[in-house]
Amino acid sequence: MSASSRNLTLLALLLLAVLPGALWLAGGGYGFRVATVCAIFAILGVSMQLITGVAGLLSLGHAAFYGVGAYTAAKLGTWLGWPFLLTLPAAGLVTMLAGLLVAVPTMRLVSIYFAVATLGLGQMIYVTLLNWVGFTRGPLGIPGIPGISILGLDLSSAAGTYMVTAVVALFSIAVAHRVAHSYHGTALRALREDDQCAAAMGLDVPRLKLEVFAVSAFLAGLAGALWAHSTGFVSPTDFRFSESILILAMVVVGGLGSIPGAVLGAVLLALLPEALRFAGDVRNIVVGLVMFSCILFLPRGLLGEIETLRVLRRIGEGWRAPDGRLLGWR
Amino acid sequence: MLDRRSLLLASAVLPGAALAQSRPVTLGYMLPLTGEFSQYGIRFRQSATLALEAFNAARRIPVPVQILYEDTRSDAREATSVAQKFSDNAEIVGVLGDFSSSASMAAAQVFARAQLPQLSQTASHPDFVGISRFQFRNITTQAYEGPFVARWAAGNGVKRVAVICIQNDWGQSVAQGFNTAFQAGGGEITSTEFFNPGNREFRSILTKIQRERPDAVYLGMFYEDGAAVLQQRRQLAMRMPFYATSSLYEPRLIELAGAPAAEGLFLATSFMPTNPDPRVQAFVTEHTRRFNMEPNSFSAQAFDAVNIMLEAIARAAPDVTRARLRDELAATRDFPGVTGATTFDPQTREPSKTLARMQVRDGRFTAL
Amino acid sequence: MNLDVFFLQQVLNGLSVGLVYALVAIGFTLIFGVLNVVNFAHGEVYMLGAFAGLVLLTTLGPPLLAAVLLVLAVGAFLGFGLERIAFRPFRRFRDEASLKSKAVREATLLSSLAVSIVVRELTEKFLGADMQVVPERFRLQEPILLEDLGVTGPLSELVIIDGQLWILGAAVVMFAALQWVLHRTDIGLSIRAVAANPLGAQFVGINANRVVIATFAIGSAMGAVAGLLIGLYTADIQPHMGFAPGVKAFVAMVMGGLSSIPGAVICAILLGVSEAVATEFIAQGWSDIIAYAALLLVLLFFPQGLFGGGRERV
Repeated sequence: MSASSRNLTLLALLLLAVLPGALWLAGGGYGFRVATVCAIFAILGVSMQLITGVAGLLSLGHAAFYGVGAYTAAKLGTWLGWPFLLTLPAAGLVTMLAGLLVAVPTMRLVSIYFAVATLGLGQMIYVTLLNWVGFTRGPLGIPGIPGISILGLDLSSAAGTYMVTAVVALFSIAVAHRVAHSYHGTALRALREDDQCAAAMGLDVPRLKLEVFAVSAFLAGLAGALWAHSTGFVSPTDFRFSESILILAMVVVGGLGSIPGAVLGAVLLALLPEALRFAGDVRNIVVGLVMFSCILFLPRGLLGEIETLRVLRRIGEGWRAPDGRLLGWR
Repeated sequence: MLDRRSLLLASAVLPGAALAQSRPVTLGYMLPLTGEFSQYGIRFRQSATLALEAFNAARRIPVPVQILYEDTRSDAREATSVAQKFSDNAEIVGVLGDFSSSASMAAAQVFARAQLPQLSQTASHPDFVGISRFQFRNITTQAYEGPFVARWAAGNGVKRVAVICIQNDWGQSVAQGFNTAFQAGGGEITSTEFFNPGNREFRSILTKIQRERPDAVYLGMFYEDGAAVLQQRRQLAMRMPFYATSSLYEPRLIELAGAPAAEGLFLATSFMPTNPDPRVQAFVTEHTRRFNMEPNSFSAQAFDAVNIMLEAIARAAPDVTRARLRDELAATRDFPGVTGATTFDPQTREPSKTLARMQVRDGRFTAL
Repeated sequence: MNLDVFFLQQVLNGLSVGLVYALVAIGFTLIFGVLNVVNFAHGEVYMLGAFAGLVLLTTLGPPLLAAVLLVLAVGAFLGFGLERIAFRPFRRFRDEASLKSKAVREATLLSSLAVSIVVRELTEKFLGADMQVVPERFRLQEPILLEDLGVTGPLSELVIIDGQLWILGAAVVMFAALQWVLHRTDIGLSIRAVAANPLGAQFVGINANRVVIATFAIGSAMGAVAGLLIGLYTADIQPHMGFAPGVKAFVAMVMGGLSSIPGAVICAILLGVSEAVATEFIAQGWSDIIAYAALLLVLLFFPQGLFGGGRERV
């Protein structure tokens, strides 16, 4: 067993056995629901991390991909009655297509121009969801989305939904990790540092951008499908600009360029508003203050890219020579 | 199976009624206490406080009733978590809220599974009560309000109407309810304009409407948007009458819009603070005294929703369970509230209400 | 072809919306130019300017021009504080790795966002989330028929509003004053130097910290006045008022090419007019699509904005 798959197994054990056990003991449904939301945002976080952290393309429209995934799953699940096992990949694929459509016109753009173009495209998708009443039912949203069930096994309870979401989140983290720490990921990092230089070194910059967009959008689509099936109702307000900003905040608080950082940031910012319920009306002020102090004291993130790489190497990720010597990243 | 909650619930119910009786009956109220809709949530909490204190003071049932408030920002993500939290809590027998439809709808799915009765004071989504037999609402449905205003306008000799609605689920039902009825009565809808939530620039829409020269304009929106429309129609010198849904009734509307701008507005309403009914007068006096602000139509709706819930608890006592509470809610007949008598249809669980007419005259809301 | 008075009115509506965006965009672009970081809290400065002005007007009741001057001061103070809290701490990273690091750059962006969240939530908590009542005598909402201004012919039926004249006036004054400051004063020269090359500016002896503070003070003062005037014009003063114009000002700035204030103003007006015309021919709900489609078209053909020159990499 390679170190990498050992680490993944450990993570899987934590998410699928230890945490559910603890939640079970702590009282059930509410904990599972909050954990489900955290897992969905962890998927969104790693998905955005690929574009914004690894490839360095600041995206301000990520909620739109999330929305496209959710609406695809909702439409297929209610209209055509597709089961979850089909709507999940379908949502990913449709969103991937949407991601490619977004990527093509924005390919030439760099830095803030790219950010604003994604903002514009994200808003266009939101306005379409809101106003295309004939197809998306507009503000009425889509109710009655069936809960998660796999091959006849009903998993729509809070705990079952969490288990499925956690499995998909694990898959997403593994995919993002493989993409980020491969030759491909190294190329993306080169592109982030200097795209002209990267092109001069022979990297096919537009193709790299398209590929990372496709993967990222696919993952966001999965998150959308999970949201749709776990909530049972989708409406355009769930995919506003402020959601995009929230996902961006998660990635930055966690640490740009670091996949574990994205997960940590997502869990932190999704959990805080719930954990601070005792604070009453001021809890959102506290969330803002926590976010601010995180950024102030650790501007490179709670788990910054460099620190993460160091830790990952120590726990055996990366490419080793036959004698066990660490060579670098595959 | 994985559901530990149902086990807990069973163990809580089985030890018998004797134990349950010593504990207060608990309700959950999910509402936006922070965020951009917090002004509504704060009003709901005020109304609920009044209703609850009056109920407990009257000692209708031997144990007190308490309400747990949870803030959701009217955001679907938080609403589902809170709904799950309420469902987990075996003490909670009924839930009030949420405000916005996206939050109420998302929460409703959880309550349907937990078989926990939910009564919303504002959820206007056409599919809301269809989610399960546990959803109730205390609103004036547009299937009723639309025809009411349509008949009223037609009676005033209006033949052609332009409709402006907010682009949300409620606005959609406003347009549908009014347009169908008005066209059925032989009238013409010159156009139906939806605007995105948050927009306060209506000059473009109004100019577009001016070109069509309708006899009247019908507004389906909340009072803050309404104030902006009224200001801007005055600027553009639109002199045709404006009709509006009951949601525009807010004592500050005239101040917000400005008296000359609001003058002449026709409103349907289910709640009128000048109503001589002693219940209404008691509510208005008490609300104004306690919170130093007059109740608006949202306050009134929440007040009635809480009272309907409390009434059902009183009928279900001494054995208040989720299932019994649901049945008692469904059996609500002619509940005398400040927004008129409320009856839940036993099949559809839709409320029926009586409406009144109101106009802004000389800078005051005047009953017609 | 017959001159369609309604269509002209629609264009006029669009121009006024565009002017609102432009007024916000001027201060926003100035601040961006110096630090190359989006100031997400500009909308909150705008909102606080409106609240401060409203409190001032309702308690002391000074003439509007005096209120504008006071709000300028309030805005400058807010800008100073904002820079101290949300931007200054990040300038402690002066090593080259940090200057190039995307993480540090986005952290600065997010810090202003976090500040804006805290400010907005505090305003909601203590002043209420709903619309404030703006007493009628302070509003800038009086319609003026062009006929009354001596215009004859088909244009005489058009309506303008005194608030629009104020906003136009403020935009012109701000724009001219800014051009004067930037091109005729020492501090303006320093601002342009820091904007062009922060490190180089320090090498020639410019105190970059002072320049950044001055820029924030000037830009935020403009934002606060914009908030007051637009608040009195729309009578829509509430904690969320800064969001929509803030986003549009951001878009206009990028369309205009980041560093160009005239570019931002032109694009803001373009956005406003395209929204109004889209409302006329399609529906208000879809008007944002047209505005953002305009943005994408511009970026497709001018990847550095309409008037951007030389500032490709930021």
